[in-house]
Amino acid sequence: METWEIYSLTSVVIFAIGLGGVFLVKHFLRKIIATVIMGGGVFLCFVSFAKRDTLNFPDPVPHALVITGIVVAVTAAAFALSLARRIHKITGEETFEEKE
Amino acid sequence: MELLTDGLLALLTAYLAFRCMLAPKLSKTVFTFFAFGLILALMWIRLGAVDVAIAEAAIASGFMGVLLLDSLRDFSPSYSEFEDNIEQPPNQVAFAKRSLSQWVPAIASGAGLLLFLFIALQAVREVPAGGGLAAFAEAKLPESGAEHPVTAVLLNFRAYDTLLEVAVILMGLLAIFAAGGIRQFRKPSLPPAKDPVLRKAILIFTPLLFLFGAFLLYIGKSGPGGAFQAAVLWGAIGILLHLGGWRIFNALSRRMRRIIIIAGPLFFLLTGFALMARSGTFLAYPPAFAGFLILIIETLAAVSIAAALTAIYAFLTD
Amino acid sequence: MKELPASVLPPLLVGVPMLLGMVSLFFKIKRRPIPGIIGSVLIGVLAFAAVVETSRHGTVIHVPGGWVPPLGIVLRMDPLSVVFISLTALIGIFIGLYSQMYFRTEEGAKVRFPLFWPLWFFLWAGLNGLFLSNDIFNLYVTIEVITICAVGLAVLSGEAKALKAGLRYLLAAIVGSMCYLLGVALIYGSTGTLDMALLGQVLEPGPTASFALIVITLGLLIKKAAFPFHFWLPPAHSAASAPVSAILSALVVKGGFYVMLRLWTEVFGVSLTFAAGQLIGVAGAAAVIWGSWQALLQTNLKLLVAHSSVAQLGYLLMIFPLLVLKPGFSTDSADWLPAAWTAGIFQVMAHAFAKSSMFLSAGIVVAALGHDRIASLRDLVAKMPMTALAIGIAGVSLIGLPPSGGFMAKWMLLKGVFLSGQWWWAPAILIGSLLTAGYIFMLLRLAFAPAREENRFRPVPIMLQVCALLLALGSFLIAIPAEKLVVFLENGESFGRGIETVIKGGNHGNE
Repeated sequence: METWEIYSLTSVVIFAIGLGGVFLVKHFLRKIIATVIMGGGVFLCFVSFAKRDTLNFPDPVPHALVITGIVVAVTAAAFALSLARRIHKITGEETFEEKE
Repeated sequence: MELLTDGLLALLTAYLAFRCMLAPKLSKTVFTFFAFGLILALMWIRLGAVDVAIAEAAIASGFMGVLLLDSLRDFSPSYSEFEDNIEQPPNQVAFAKRSLSQWVPAIASGAGLLLFLFIALQAVREVPAGGGLAAFAEAKLPESGAEHPVTAVLLNFRAYDTLLEVAVILMGLLAIFAAGGIRQFRKPSLPPAKDPVLRKAILIFTPLLFLFGAFLLYIGKSGPGGAFQAAVLWGAIGILLHLGGWRIFNALSRRMRRIIIIAGPLFFLLTGFALMARSGTFLAYPPAFAGFLILIIETLAAVSIAAALTAIYAFLTD
Repeated sequence: MKELPASVLPPLLVGVPMLLGMVSLFFKIKRRPIPGIIGSVLIGVLAFAAVVETSRHGTVIHVPGGWVPPLGIVLRMDPLSVVFISLTALIGIFIGLYSQMYFRTEEGAKVRFPLFWPLWFFLWAGLNGLFLSNDIFNLYVTIEVITICAVGLAVLSGEAKALKAGLRYLLAAIVGSMCYLLGVALIYGSTGTLDMALLGQVLEPGPTASFALIVITLGLLIKKAAFPFHFWLPPAHSAASAPVSAILSALVVKGGFYVMLRLWTEVFGVSLTFAAGQLIGVAGAAAVIWGSWQALLQTNLKLLVAHSSVAQLGYLLMIFPLLVLKPGFSTDSADWLPAAWTAGIFQVMAHAFAKSSMFLSAGIVVAALGHDRIASLRDLVAKMPMTALAIGIAGVSLIGLPPSGGFMAKWMLLKGVFLSGQWWWAPAILIGSLLTAGYIFMLLRLAFAPAREENRFRPVPIMLQVCALLLALGSFLIAIPAEKLVVFLENGESFGRGIETVIKGGNHGNE
């Protein structure tokens, strides 16, 4: 088993944990973190293939894609965070569930 | 030995991701997320992706972590999803009903998730060798105006993507303002740090961070580094100054703030149009000036992103 | 790929809205409609130029930086994308005009309208970028641009209801894009290219390609609020302010459909099976019936219109089972393909016009009454005849009565269904239309009914009503040049193409 294989297999595990997390955990903050974890899995998948396709240097295209991806994903997550905090400020709610 | 390192790192990341979701306390989730990001950065280094490691540590773990930590002040840090019925008097009937209605969907989605994971692992194990684009990138590298292949891809081969990406940060900032109100920098609420030691430390860190950011920006031409990594370091300056009570954004006029935040994407876009007017192709750098143009675009983008990150932080902590 | 003529229009169609978005930030808040309206018209001119260009040359491309794939990105403008771009421009201009007036009314002024124009221009740039993109990673970036701007617009009012709906929308959209991106990672890993044209040639069937297809389709279905994933759409679309609802419902959700159409017909041919198409069709049929039924139960106009969107988007999904051909058929022998494609395109256009008109009308009602309870629509015909007329006309198109664009769409869909022998979709189409007729006539009956108590209708600027009415008329007018439009679309390669499948083992497509 080579390095990239270990990491590419890990990547889908992380992705699945994040995916499950988004649906199963309740708190806004955790849901947002779960999406970032999902993103981590996807990016790991990209970069592990870059390691496999190394010639003189690892394939730079996935690296560039991942940097773009991280920035875009973090922007979206920061926006989600601002929405969550705003909701908390107005209503005091921390989850989507209706108050009893 | 290598295999062992990789295996351990892999197990650790998966464990941390899992803990992150299931940690009983919210504050623990955030700290675990920090650790997760740092281990992930180690994995990038193991995979030879130093640029990604810096970006991950700085943006995904660092900047996001700071925002999350700050959010903990808002949300009750001891909030727990799993212990919420502990303090209630034991009511057997309600408990049974509740646990049944909670467990059936949980088990169903767990099974679905395992199935998904199984198919995914299968798909990843049998992924055919695509070969990647390293050979193409290497062949075209001399014409790109950058010596570092990742920079060449980001700012030349796929510059159109990067343009959109720089613009996304601006859009994210606007969207955050849209969610929270437009009068963002008016009322100071978080009291500035009074501790003189902290303030002094921040003042010492500022030039260091600035220099290190400038170094990363410049080195991005030939090695790992570049606009985004530099931008986060510069953004960290803004955040630290903000923490220390120097509200640099308040010192600037509204127009100036806007100009700084927009300068990067605007210059990028206008360069693209100017080059299109010259040669008929969007963002086609003439090889002789490519290196110079890329450096200017990167610098302006870094300044704008740093300003946008500071603004996001300043606005969110408000 | 290389012999296609080059054009400067694609980068302009993306860059100009983006530039306008940045420039509009420098205008004083009161003056922002000036660059807004002028800019919208400018984009409209560019879109018209794109129509002229593609009708003259067929498909044109632009290679930013001159780096051809696989290393670089190609922007491709073909008749199909031009139809989407000009639809966006046309509806965008009307919504822009409307919003300009709407934000001055008492109801509209509650919204933080200063950020409307910048965000809307960025969203416009993202939509145009999506329609022009020929690179699956670039598609991801444009999808995220669209998501962030769309949610930003949806929460402009800053009310708790809108914020919560917005967060739900954003989280669903992020999960969708992450699923999509995982598929992109696997495809890149197994082929070493991101260009759609190249992928169509080199993608090999296998477990990786099938899994990539599943996650990408799943991601796009979440984005376009297909049946099991529609939960975020009604609250988000109904809580936004009227012009924004119109943008979200008429244009933004169409992006997911467009990407799916492109990827299924051009990239994933090798991994698709007849069953996968049927599955998507089932999701579509379920959305049609469920959405229409829910719409019938609503007591608020905007929620009704939003649920109706879920149903109308379901019709779009129902063309996929027709596009995926059974083994043994080819594009030439399947004579229902033109009908299915025409149905899809007309459904997109008719729904875009009709739904934007409905939401704008709902906004007028809100501006006049201060709320949107359906029971208060009584006597609408006497008080605001133009709005009542707009709701009626748009409604007729949604039901699919002749001679509307909606009729064209549903008629062609039925034709395709029967020609292909997949008659089992017909009941869903008909039941959907009946239920739609149910809620539209319920609205109209109330509008004609005499008022029980004196409803106080505040005066509403006449321009608002004109915009809504013109959009409603648009859903009829598109049926007139239908044949010309089909001829125009046939210039492109993808239009009228089926997805040929060969007999394969394994159960792919188990979303």
